[in-house]
Amino acid sequence: MSRQSAYIAWALRLPLRGGGFFSMLLALALTGAGMACAAESHSSREITEQAGVIMDFEPSPAGSYKLYNIKDAPDGKVLDTDGKARSLSEFTGDKVTLLSFIYSSCADPGGCPFAYLVFHTLQNRLEAHPEFKHSVRLVSLSFDPRRDTPEVLKLYAGDSGKDDRGVQWDFLTTTSLHDLIPILDAYGQDVYFDVDPVTRKPLGTLSHVLKVFLIDRHHVIREIYTTAYLSPDVVYNDILTLLMEEGIKLP
Amino acid sequence: MLKSNNHFSLKALVAAVSATVALGVVALPTLSHADETACSPFTPLIKGQEDLVYVWTLGVEGVGDGSDKLVTVDVRPGSKTFGKVINSLSVGGRGEAHHMGFSDDRRYMWAGALDSNKMFVFDIGTDPSKPKLINTITDIVEKTGYVGPHTFYALPGRMMIQALSNTKDHGGVTGIAIYSNDGKYISKHDMPTTQLGGAGVTGDGYGYDLGINPQKNVLLTSSFTGWNNYMMDFGKMVKDPDAMKHFGNTMAIWNLKTMEPMKVFDVPGAPLEIRWSLKKGDNWAVTATALTSKLYVIKQDNKGEWQSYDVGTIGNPADIPLPVDISITADGKGLWANTMLEGMTRFYDFSNPMKPKEVYSKKIGSQVNMVSQSWDGKRVYFTTSLLANWDKKGKDDEQFLKMYKWNGKKLTHVFTIDFYKEKLGRAHHMKFQALNLNTLQPLAATQSQDLEKLSLALTGPKEK
Repeated sequence: MSRQSAYIAWALRLPLRGGGFFSMLLALALTGAGMACAAESHSSREITEQAGVIMDFEPSPAGSYKLYNIKDAPDGKVLDTDGKARSLSEFTGDKVTLLSFIYSSCADPGGCPFAYLVFHTLQNRLEAHPEFKHSVRLVSLSFDPRRDTPEVLKLYAGDSGKDDRGVQWDFLTTTSLHDLIPILDAYGQDVYFDVDPVTRKPLGTLSHVLKVFLIDRHHVIREIYTTAYLSPDVVYNDILTLLMEEGIKLP
Repeated sequence: MLKSNNHFSLKALVAAVSATVALGVVALPTLSHADETACSPFTPLIKGQEDLVYVWTLGVEGVGDGSDKLVTVDVRPGSKTFGKVINSLSVGGRGEAHHMGFSDDRRYMWAGALDSNKMFVFDIGTDPSKPKLINTITDIVEKTGYVGPHTFYALPGRMMIQALSNTKDHGGVTGIAIYSNDGKYISKHDMPTTQLGGAGVTGDGYGYDLGINPQKNVLLTSSFTGWNNYMMDFGKMVKDPDAMKHFGNTMAIWNLKTMEPMKVFDVPGAPLEIRWSLKKGDNWAVTATALTSKLYVIKQDNKGEWQSYDVGTIGNPADIPLPVDISITADGKGLWANTMLEGMTRFYDFSNPMKPKEVYSKKIGSQVNMVSQSWDGKRVYFTTSLLANWDKKGKDDEQFLKMYKWNGKKLTHVFTIDFYKEKLGRAHHMKFQALNLNTLQPLAATQSQDLEKLSLALTGPKEK
């Protein structure tokens, strides 16, 4: 590992090995691995299989099915990577939005790292179509505000979160559990703090079941994915289905 | 509240902090974790020891308070209350309590009543040992025209509900309703009534159970009978030739994403419970037919086409033993099948699903309906009630929860709870729960996963 990545891992208080997918990503990025090209070289099926999930079917064509209104996308108070206070609703309307809850030190292969990979793949795929720039957005909201400060998330986002990307990927956090918990409850995203069985003090590790939300331009949740059904191809077609509803011309 | 655990949720943390501040004491909340192999693939599972068994129980006039109720039984080995009822929550009145199912986060349990059409939502996450009724949904008839909410099966953020009947004629034509986890109606999907999939079989529109295989993007449904029959006295019904014509004879496979049925199969004699093999890569499900006493497998052929196969019989079909619940082992290699009228359970070697072999049988009681096994298959639970008007009469109307241990060769009795002696009612559907929800694991976690494998997708092309 390079000196720079070792420094970042130290600054983030992340174990250098086995303690977080983020540290691995940082190491890869800093050692020059071309993530975008590599991810693009893999099919949707290969990606899900590498997360231990088999999705042995051809996704239904976009627009051939209806995505029902599940519920309104809840609002809440968040921080962007510049530390600016924002409303979550600023990130769940006007564009078709794919939202996931993550934390940067997550090491569950079927959790945040898998979501990161799917989002990364989708961003690259959507960016191949410039007309999607103003139509689609990706959002990752941390549920670990203590460690995932705006500065940390900016590092975590890397190139993916830059303003000049063809498809916007916003990384958000919150100031505290006080702001975070109502959001998690409203979305139905369970998160657990592991605690010491004797002292009952938090151990600093979290666990959760991955959920990803597809939200239309009118702040309505139209699909929810867990690891068992989170395929880049399926999500891509669902995004196109919502765009077609809006009359957006597809490539 | 039972013994605390090693984890707590953010929500619980706030509750704990609030309580600590308000009360000036340190108090951490208790958390939790079914037939485990029958759960929705979107529901996290108990892959270790279950702590609690919930029994959705039909109220009986003159027995206790006479109301339908959710009964909680402690099954923690070594517990002082092991094998005892530790909680009973009445919902008020009798509505033909039947089946139940977890929400996608296993923090809530939905339970249905086939006559009142009420759907009860219990909070089983805040304190699993003391479920709390938080919502009663009463609009399924108004929203859908369906009657008899039967199977509750989680989708992410939603609940899929297979109904049994309809408001027009109370017959068996029905459909599937989908509600949000908040209890709001989302959509309805009629069971197929046309020929689909080229098999030349016309859908009868009936429904019973459903099961999803997300690996294949398919939903499988089965068929039973309508309100006219399931609320009729069993003895009277079997003597009524017209009533006996009104049973489902089909199954259907659907595209899960589009919620469109793709193919209808001829599966005569009321195919009931559906169990997908959960073994990685398997592409088959099994069902048992109540009236014809058959085992059917729905499987993809070598061209990828879904087909139905008659793979064997349960008992002597001529005796009409009335197969009811089945339970598949987590590895897909074994199947329990109960027969209501015999009070028997049988275990089948399902190593070859096309040629299952009965390898064990045991009489459980005068009647037996549901069977639920733990994920490791070592613990098997049985209950008795099928429907209030279909259960046996007099002294044969035993109502119990029994637990056995299974060593792969025989069942060994561990405990019995007599639901009449305990003044509870008719013991029907069972679901397991853990006190510590953080020990739950997604179904996919059974499959090989590691960070190194995932990293390959980011570091470069996979080696061919």
